[in-house]
Amino acid sequence: MGGPSGGCIPEELIDIPVTYEDVVKTGAIMGSGGMVVMDEDTCMVSTAKFFLEFTADESCGKCTPCRVGTRVMLDMLTDITEGRGREGDIETLQDLSNDIIATSLCGLGQTAPNPILSTIRYFKDEYEAHIHQKWCKTGICSDLCSFEISEDVCTGCGACARACPQGAIVGEKKKPHSIIQDLCIQCRSCYDRCAFQSIKIGPAKEKDKTAVAVKDQEE
Amino acid sequence: MLKLIINDKNITAEEGETILQAALKNNIYIPNLCYDKRLRPYGGCRLCVVEVEGQARLFAACSSPAQDGMNIKTDTPKLRKYRQTVLELLLIHHPLDCPVCDKAGECDLQDLAYEYGKPDSRFIRHRKASLPDVRGPLIELTANRCILCGKCVRICRDHQGRGALGLIGRGFPTVVQPAFGEILECDYCGQCVDICPTGAILSKTFKFKARSWFLEEKETTCPFCGCGCTLTLGLREGNILRSRGKEGIGVSDGNLCGRGRFGIDYINSEHRLKNPLIRENENFREVTWEEALSHISSNLKEMINTNGAESVGAIGSQRCTNEDNYVLQKFMRNTIGSGSIDSSAAFGYAKVQKAWNMAFGRNSHPIDLQSPYGKEIIFIVESDISVTHPIFGLNILEASREGAQLIVADSRETKLTRHSSTWLPIEDGTGVALMNGIMKVLIDKDLINKDSAAGLKGFAELQAMLEEYTPANVSQITGISEEDITAAAVALGTAKSRMIALSVSATENTKGMDIALAAANLTILLGEDPSTLQIPAEYSNTYGLYQSGVRPLKPEDRGIMEILYGDQTAFSALYIMGEDPVTTFPDSSKILKRLKSLDFLVVQDIFMTETAKLANVVLPASSWGEKDGTFTNAEGKVQKVFKVVDPAGDSKPDWMIIKNLALTMEKELGVRSLEDIQAEMKESQPTVTDEETTLTFNPAKYVRGEEPSQEFPFQLVIRDVLQHSGVTSTSSKSLDLVISEALLEINEEDAKKQGVKDNSHVKVTSQHGSIFLKAKVSEEVPQGTVFVPSHFPYAKINTLTHLASNGESPISVVKIEAT
Repeated sequence: MGGPSGGCIPEELIDIPVTYEDVVKTGAIMGSGGMVVMDEDTCMVSTAKFFLEFTADESCGKCTPCRVGTRVMLDMLTDITEGRGREGDIETLQDLSNDIIATSLCGLGQTAPNPILSTIRYFKDEYEAHIHQKWCKTGICSDLCSFEISEDVCTGCGACARACPQGAIVGEKKKPHSIIQDLCIQCRSCYDRCAFQSIKIGPAKEKDKTAVAVKDQEE
Repeated sequence: MLKLIINDKNITAEEGETILQAALKNNIYIPNLCYDKRLRPYGGCRLCVVEVEGQARLFAACSSPAQDGMNIKTDTPKLRKYRQTVLELLLIHHPLDCPVCDKAGECDLQDLAYEYGKPDSRFIRHRKASLPDVRGPLIELTANRCILCGKCVRICRDHQGRGALGLIGRGFPTVVQPAFGEILECDYCGQCVDICPTGAILSKTFKFKARSWFLEEKETTCPFCGCGCTLTLGLREGNILRSRGKEGIGVSDGNLCGRGRFGIDYINSEHRLKNPLIRENENFREVTWEEALSHISSNLKEMINTNGAESVGAIGSQRCTNEDNYVLQKFMRNTIGSGSIDSSAAFGYAKVQKAWNMAFGRNSHPIDLQSPYGKEIIFIVESDISVTHPIFGLNILEASREGAQLIVADSRETKLTRHSSTWLPIEDGTGVALMNGIMKVLIDKDLINKDSAAGLKGFAELQAMLEEYTPANVSQITGISEEDITAAAVALGTAKSRMIALSVSATENTKGMDIALAAANLTILLGEDPSTLQIPAEYSNTYGLYQSGVRPLKPEDRGIMEILYGDQTAFSALYIMGEDPVTTFPDSSKILKRLKSLDFLVVQDIFMTETAKLANVVLPASSWGEKDGTFTNAEGKVQKVFKVVDPAGDSKPDWMIIKNLALTMEKELGVRSLEDIQAEMKESQPTVTDEETTLTFNPAKYVRGEEPSQEFPFQLVIRDVLQHSGVTSTSSKSLDLVISEALLEINEEDAKKQGVKDNSHVKVTSQHGSIFLKAKVSEEVPQGTVFVPSHFPYAKINTLTHLASNGESPISVVKIEAT
């Protein structure tokens, strides 16, 4: 809430009164007064990165902590969301955030780390999954997930196969379909399309990236 | 007085001071990267953050005013951690250039990282990669070393008033660059080079010459203009490798101009005279000192015997030390027996001295470089002080930023006009009329104390003369509107504190004694102290020259007019020290005639000047930097210059040459060493204490120079250019890279009408001669006037000029023909 500098709070806090003080207690700020509601299919690490992309770009560049600090943190989040997260990154992000907040010249630098601090506070498990298991459970970070169809749940309706831009889903009508991992680009279209929640998002898998879809192969 | 506590220490601070300034004054160091005392606080680096009791957030010490009762901590574990982080962040993208970066050893980033940083970094990131921008002369920009402290941008824009560099872009990708990424085109003063805390802006002349820790630093006084700035030279193995300004030292306090920073390499020119030379028909023969001196001795003795001692004259130098000049005039008066000695100051500063004497009854006229501060109004007339006296110009700009109203009367756009509150676009050479017009308005509008003015000598004559200088008439003459003239007068009349400044120099042809007298009249009329009028001496030792007696002292002594321009038979021999009359004095054809008609001419200089080429004997002198001595700057401050390098070839200090000559002539001077000379000078020259001031009005009428005509439609105005000072600086290779040609500046419209293209050659003809010059079409100059600089000997500018009957060298008119 409060725009890209505001901060993210979890579902459990939905009933807090909307006063300046109560909001601040949660670690967020009133900010622009806006509120965006996200469901369980939103990756909070990716959201933090999204907000930081904005604030790092808007940084005027005058003071060192904001100019360099937001860029460095953005680079770290990019690394984390692309599978290059390392042990200690969470602590470094927190430490750096606090220093940036304390030393920045203006409100932009003083609040830009809020999304990071609040998402680490409330959604630390997502960070840890990203860093240690290379697993984005919401499927947003395409380098950190893999998609599989549960055979016992799939009805074979074929909606996912039609949605797939890569032609990576194969299967007969009314029979459980399967995803060819080497062709999957983790776009999550199938997951979004499936009405039966039969698609499971697992951690990243090794792939042969040179695979070509059957339909695109030369006859 | 504010009372505060820093680190448990009780300190006091002035109202308006920041916490950082208060701390530094009390020897408490707070690390900072983007602070400079000349600049307004920036607050960008965030290193100077401090904890203030009772405050939730940290304060940036550089940007927070000190307040009574503050309790501040500057060095806690928390603050140390924050500074570590800031430095860590700065170093992440900073290239590992230390091994090849000239700044190493004196780099603020290095020093701060060592003191306040941490030995490792949590981040390995892509380091900024960009090639250094070496396209422009003298200054090199390496953007990837830049830590965006903004000091270069701020010093250029806010202090120098030039604004050649800017912060381009926003956020992390910001770079410091000239607009549109073009080549750096600016004053080339080098202030940015000195202020940059890293190696992002470096001097090309110093590049790769030496590691900073191998340099021996020595302070000396600059040889160029009358400001007398202190240069901190970097020496190694007997060579001057660089020159820079250091805060807190000298009148310049860390500020310098391009001449002081880059121009001193003229002493290393390969054209330096190395051996004494005696003329043999068309050529010169290298000889020993003994032969040269005895040759001079016998010839001079002969002149004295046949034509009398008065037939020998001498010309001293505004660039030689006090000791050199003192010895020359003592030699002339004691050994030769002639008082006919003068210098180029006769065309410039000596007139000011005379005017000063006439108007204020005083003999010395030191200026005060700090005088612009605190003045309500500053009035500059037809003078580009930012060019002739850059540091004085900087103070004027600073004073105007602090609230002084700056009225600048100038025919063309200059830095001062750009920063002025009012620009009076005056016709060249009419400053006297303007000031007379202003005086008339002041009297008519009763803005001055008529009773006290009327009680002074000359007031009645002044009032009578001013009758014809009505705003209408003055507007006709000067080209300034009646409203503007009246407004300027009213502003001057009603202000509570004023400063009037102008330059009167041998190299400018729009001003002379008249304007000095007119300015003095105005000063007196306003009821002001003589110190309100600031006319700085032009070169490094112009002021000292006057004090050392290099001018006619007795009534029978003859000055420059007779020495060079008068009756051909008056002089049979001349001794010229450190001066090039053929190049720098007006009406060079007359001078050439005189010099060629002499029986004997001795020229003592550091280069084979145009004048030296005509000499019978040429003596190689040691230059600045190769001898000890003193210069007296325009403030009357006697400052030392030191021998820091070996003399070129077999050259000797001027004073030593003359002392030896006197010995050879068997009429020695009674001084053996520099100390002897200095002791004698101290005795013979009484220190000027508070002189009595007698105010007198000396009405000065506006006298026109040559009138433009059908045949000669343009006024020729001679002005200095920023990167040069006299002729000396043109031998500097570094300054040569910036401006190496005498460009004739002509207005766009005029150029079109004359068919003159930018950068093409033109023939310039006056009633006295003609020359060829390269033309530069400019938007900054008015129509009907062309501007040329007098610095370049090859241009022979003074072929075109003439002397008026009153000894002034006014505007000459010329015609311009495209070739």
